[in-house]
Amino acid sequence: MIFYLYLALSVTTASAVLLSRGRRTMHAIGSLFYVVQALFAAWLLFGGGSGTSAGTIFAFDTTGTLFFLLLVIVSFWVFTHSEPYLSECAPTQTRSYFSLLLLLTTAITGAYFASNLAVTWIFLEATTLCSGGIIYHRRTAQTLEAAWKYVFVCSTGIAMAYLGILLLAGATRCESLSYDTVANVIAQSNPLYLKTACLLILCGYSCKMELFPLYTVGVDANFAAPSPASALISTGLVNAGFVALLRLYRLMARTEIFPWVRSVLLVVGVLSLLVGALFLRRTNNYKRFLSYSTVENMGIAAIGLGVGGVGVWAAVFHVVCHTFIKSSLFLQMAVVRQVYNGYRINRLGDYIRINRIGAIGLLAGMVVVLAFPPSPLFLSELMILGEAIAAGKWWLVGTMLLLLCIVIYSFCLRVLRLCYQPNQDELHPSKADRALSWSALSLLFVAMILGLWQPAVLRDIIDRIATL
Amino acid sequence: MILSLLILYVVTLVYLSITERFRNFASIVSLQGWLLFIIALLRLHAIAPSELAFIALETLIFKALVVPAILFAVIRRTRINRVRTSGSSQFHALLWSLAALISSISITYYVADPTIDPLFFGVALYALLSGLLLIVLRSRLFSHMVGFLVIENGVFLFSTAIGVEMPLLINLAILLDILMSVLMLGVFFTEIDHKIHADDADSLTHVKD
Repeated sequence: MIFYLYLALSVTTASAVLLSRGRRTMHAIGSLFYVVQALFAAWLLFGGGSGTSAGTIFAFDTTGTLFFLLLVIVSFWVFTHSEPYLSECAPTQTRSYFSLLLLLTTAITGAYFASNLAVTWIFLEATTLCSGGIIYHRRTAQTLEAAWKYVFVCSTGIAMAYLGILLLAGATRCESLSYDTVANVIAQSNPLYLKTACLLILCGYSCKMELFPLYTVGVDANFAAPSPASALISTGLVNAGFVALLRLYRLMARTEIFPWVRSVLLVVGVLSLLVGALFLRRTNNYKRFLSYSTVENMGIAAIGLGVGGVGVWAAVFHVVCHTFIKSSLFLQMAVVRQVYNGYRINRLGDYIRINRIGAIGLLAGMVVVLAFPPSPLFLSELMILGEAIAAGKWWLVGTMLLLLCIVIYSFCLRVLRLCYQPNQDELHPSKADRALSWSALSLLFVAMILGLWQPAVLRDIIDRIATL
Repeated sequence: MILSLLILYVVTLVYLSITERFRNFASIVSLQGWLLFIIALLRLHAIAPSELAFIALETLIFKALVVPAILFAVIRRTRINRVRTSGSSQFHALLWSLAALISSISITYYVADPTIDPLFFGVALYALLSGLLLIVLRSRLFSHMVGFLVIENGVFLFSTAIGVEMPLLINLAILLDILMSVLMLGVFFTEIDHKIHADDADSLTHVKD
């Protein structure tokens, strides 16, 4: 009942933003939305909500709760950063942007807490609708092209995923598509049907998790959407894809095809890492650059699931920490746009003189996303490599290390260029907002703290999530 | 009866691969909507009458009437008539389509299991491959849109064979998909026509590395 009330209040406040007049009213309604999120989070954490369920289609398990808390934090930061970012936009456009941003947050929450394969699918489809509107925010031919591609490819991918879900339902012959019911009978199902279903679902959800093969739409979406929204798409929405995949992974762990599923995830992960590493070198746009970094990191998470054992723990921890790091970097990039009014890699430079805090944020972000200590990603990548060595997968270790070297080279080259090479673009009249740079940096601090010290509560939560 | 309808459905998919006029595309989508309506009525007669009525109405109104009507409206509005620069000839498209059909039959035969009706599985798989072929082989966005609708219809056909939680959840999912189709057809097409002044996929190549 509480969750349905939460959903109703969230959708109502998000819709009210669309009808609001004036920026103050819009801000007030937006703040109300986050009060609702905070109250729901408090109910989950302290009111005994975690571990319960709402009817047969939503369950507030540890996985959903952890990723919901991350989503609320990132979404609030995105909302705060979006206001100055969109200050020059027309009120109608700003209203629809904020409304869609809040609806997207609600849809992602639904996907996190869905305890039914079909409901997960419905909410993921709903995120496509909201993201499409956000991508088209600027109403230009380029954003239209990106939005069209995003909606079209996501819809096609999600339709394929639905075919997979139906096949899974048919193969298990259970009366419900709830994860628990399917888990109880999946072991007796036809392995060939399960393999086909798994491939279709993985292929469909790859557009949300920004994994090979449908990663391209995510990159285009991040490129065309306003930078703060890219922070949410590249973390909260990607996490929704990860949660959906993790739930499928848990189902498959009960079947005889589990080793095959892990091999498929290894292949998908390595291909994503390869694509990320190669395109980090090729692209000439900082937002696409960060998006390919997301593809690379999700590839590492998929490899973690593929190697299994402690790799599953590392994959979950990797995705959790990536949420803080990537949202911080995208929000820093929003400040970069304030200064240069663009993202062209070969023309921008001298950022260290223009906005020292922002440049430090980007340089620190570079160190952390490249998994150098005190990065939490150092820990997760080390665990994944350790598990791969223990399993005797030397080809995987060699490939990962080689590709990670390319990533390190590309990242250092591009970020150092932005900070230190002579600038060749005209500066935008408005000054860099240092408060926003500090605010974005605070998310990175959280990630660095997690690299140095993982609270027992977090370790316990990830232990429970990683238990198959 | 269902077998004859499914064979007719397969014929529409083969015809889609070779036709080049967009009016034919819209007519075929409409015909598929009617076929799905009759198949749903025959296949799901055992479920509760209210649920059956909902599914049948939804199929009839959206798949057989509204979506084809929007397709015809788009054709009238954009004045596109036929595939201008097909990525492949009709003969090659037919060959690809037949290869997809043979692959679907082979896969269905290979994974045959009493848990799932192989006929529905095979036809749905062929619809999925046909839709993907339309998207890959044709260069006009309208063909891509029809490819998406063909995939959607294939998924719906398969869902009638499964019937798990059909009354509520599968209907909701299909309604949401229909919403996506109408959104893409209605809003995006008029916007694309207005902003880009072309509906050729070749013109959508500005967002890249």
